[in-house]
Amino acid sequence: MIDFFMLIFRILIFPGFAFLLLLTLFCDWMERKIEARLQNRVGPMVAGPGGILQPLADFIKLLTKEDITPRAAKKTIFKFAPLVAFTIMVFALCFIPIDGASVLSANGFSGDLIIILAFATVANFLLFLAGWASCNPYGTIGSARVLTQFLGYDIPLFLIALTPAFIAGSLQIANIAAFQSTHLLPFILLAPWAFVLFIITMQAELEKDPFDVPHSESELVGGLETEFTGAKLAFLHLTRDVQVIFGSALVVELFLGGPYGPVFFGASWFWFTLWFVLKLLVVVAITEYITVVFARLRIDQVLSGNWRILLPAAILSLMLTVVLVTWVYPLVV
Amino acid sequence: MQNSTVDMIGLIKSTFGDKVQIQLGALGAAAITANNGLHRDVLKTMLAADEKTGITAITGLDLGAIIGVYYHIHTSNVFVTIKTEVTKENPKTQTIVDLHLGAAFHELEVADLLGVVFEGHPSPGHFVLSENWPEGIYPLRKDVKANEIKLVPTPASEEIQLPENKRLVKIIIGPQHPALLEPEKFAVTVDGETVTKVEPRIGYVHRGIEKAAESRGYMQDVYLMERICGICNSCHAYGFVGAVEKILKTQVPPRAEYLRVIALELNRLHSHLLTLGHACLEIGYETVFQYFWRDREPIMDLIELTSGNRVYSSLMTIGGVRRDLKDTDIPKIKTTLEELRAKLPFYRQIYENEPTLKLRMKNVGVLSKQDAINLSCVGPVARGSGYDVDVRKDEPYSAYAEMPFKEIVYTTGDTWARMNVRMDEVEESINIIEYAVDNLPKGPFRLELPRSVPAGEAIHRLEAPRGELFYYVRSNGTDMPDRVKVRTPTFANIPSFLKTAIGESIADVPANFVSLDPCFSCTDR
Repeated sequence: MIDFFMLIFRILIFPGFAFLLLLTLFCDWMERKIEARLQNRVGPMVAGPGGILQPLADFIKLLTKEDITPRAAKKTIFKFAPLVAFTIMVFALCFIPIDGASVLSANGFSGDLIIILAFATVANFLLFLAGWASCNPYGTIGSARVLTQFLGYDIPLFLIALTPAFIAGSLQIANIAAFQSTHLLPFILLAPWAFVLFIITMQAELEKDPFDVPHSESELVGGLETEFTGAKLAFLHLTRDVQVIFGSALVVELFLGGPYGPVFFGASWFWFTLWFVLKLLVVVAITEYITVVFARLRIDQVLSGNWRILLPAAILSLMLTVVLVTWVYPLVV
Repeated sequence: MQNSTVDMIGLIKSTFGDKVQIQLGALGAAAITANNGLHRDVLKTMLAADEKTGITAITGLDLGAIIGVYYHIHTSNVFVTIKTEVTKENPKTQTIVDLHLGAAFHELEVADLLGVVFEGHPSPGHFVLSENWPEGIYPLRKDVKANEIKLVPTPASEEIQLPENKRLVKIIIGPQHPALLEPEKFAVTVDGETVTKVEPRIGYVHRGIEKAAESRGYMQDVYLMERICGICNSCHAYGFVGAVEKILKTQVPPRAEYLRVIALELNRLHSHLLTLGHACLEIGYETVFQYFWRDREPIMDLIELTSGNRVYSSLMTIGGVRRDLKDTDIPKIKTTLEELRAKLPFYRQIYENEPTLKLRMKNVGVLSKQDAINLSCVGPVARGSGYDVDVRKDEPYSAYAEMPFKEIVYTTGDTWARMNVRMDEVEESINIIEYAVDNLPKGPFRLELPRSVPAGEAIHRLEAPRGELFYYVRSNGTDMPDRVKVRTPTFANIPSFLKTAIGESIADVPANFVSLDPCFSCTDR
């Protein structure tokens, strides 16, 4: 019985839904603040100390707005796609070890890395469906671009995510993170090239500058979000923010040693959560920095960059890893 | 541009003899009066004699029973006006688009506003007026009464004409679109991602300022003209004031001329900084956009310091300027400009070295020099393509003859070159303002002039931030002008966009378009 309540607590409060939601909103605030400060602006100021409640305020405001479904839209998909996409993204996050264990189980299972990457793909596909179902020219073009871009970048993402898995010899996220912690050697040091490639690919997956072609305002108005209003728009925004958390959490788990770090006193779950959040914020800051210093590329430039540069680089990275793991690392470790 | 040695007026005199009347010194170097039909031959002669001949504007004006059509022509060394006229009963004349492509928009505008029929125009139709405008009413004719204008109700839904080729898709950019800050419509036909055709439609915010000017006094008109454009407001006010002063045959005091130069260059400074930032926004480079606009603010403060107003400076007046510059303000101006100058290398480095910016701007919207000449482009657009037109150098007005500055010319003709012309001009503007405040002559800054203006007509050309601004003012001896014609730089530059967009990716359209620095409130007077 205790176990059951514990599971409910873990799913709903910590480190599950409520904690992830708070983390998402906090990261959104931090992103906006970093972006604003780098652009010589002040950023959110009014809601809460330093504007920290602004993302929550925006979310609540959108929930209270009128919710319009265009007559031409395919209603079922249009209504449910944002919500389902959000659910899937949160569900994918549940497999990531946060306080030393993931939300659902202590160590996950073999192959959960593949599963959560697949979840991310499905969520992206749902976003595409959402824009497509709105039957708006801008929404349609925007979602077509989402699809083109993420089809291109999913393959390199998978290939690069395999690099840490290969070094650790496991497809289980908890094992990959634990491997780094037991050897006291995060993979960012062992395979820095893969880290750089992963960050770039992540940037494209999250549709951030310089790869934010699917919602370039100057051409596509709001991209796939054009027809969305009210609660549906709120959930679309929240899905994007959760995707950012998801991508950054993956980087933390695969390259920065996961939640593991020194435990000074007291409960280990507290320290693990702290390390996880701190590492996550560092990754978010890095991606935000990249967003700020680049201009948006054109869709054809994004695609040729993917197929001509990133995919060969990912394959090379995997080959290099295989060579290193087979012949070089055994000499060192 | 003063490199051609053709004596254009002498050539016309020898070619046409008594068939044309030449009035030297009026409306440019000379006003050539030719009969309807003969004006084409005059233009043909000019085009053959000088390859840089282009059209600045076509002014239509109601002269009672007849309608005057004035073709304002620039060549590499003179500016002339060819006058011809048509009767109101039969307002027909031959188009000149077949001779010079740049005339297309000018003819459409005159056709819309005065009812002159240009036979043989490639794309006739409403250009400025709305689709539901009644037939046979031409707003700039004197006999039009406002209460007689009954708009024709338009059909509820416009028939959408699908292109015959199924591969082609028509994308409407505007009238409301985030890439356009002002309402205009561009129907872009795309084949996949490649643009095959662009059809413009302006006039969404046409305010009839040219007509309104005819029922206001000269002093009121100065402020009315200022309202044409918020960004280059001093340029518009000065354009009108300059033309009126030519009719009055007055010489304003040198101190006033220097103060005018300072106001005009401050206009250029903040306009260029605005565009340089806006272009970055269009290619998704928000950071640089924010930086540029931050550095634009001190210039706005300087405008407030020198004129008392931040946006509409209301500095120009007939006979000088309304406000003197205090000696105590000069150090503040110089330190602000010095700070801006210190920041320029950083921006230049971004435009030179930033890889994503270069990917989006280099080789985008390439306009060849020949096309720039054929389409009569002006300002940074022409100078980015190696076509060296700058009224400040070609025909110095105000105190520009004394100012030390370089004419910036780039030769690649792409978006990047157009933006870099502006970048370099920012520095030249700083030099001009610094020279002007250092060498500010002593003396009065304003003349008291009579409120009514003798009958006459004059043109005034000046280099606004976006290119050559052209004013034509005709006075009938009362206290209100008879006709005011404004040709704004964006109006002259839109054809170049229609040319360069074809064959490009649809994603390049915003970046290419913003490199014109389009201002539609200027275009829709």
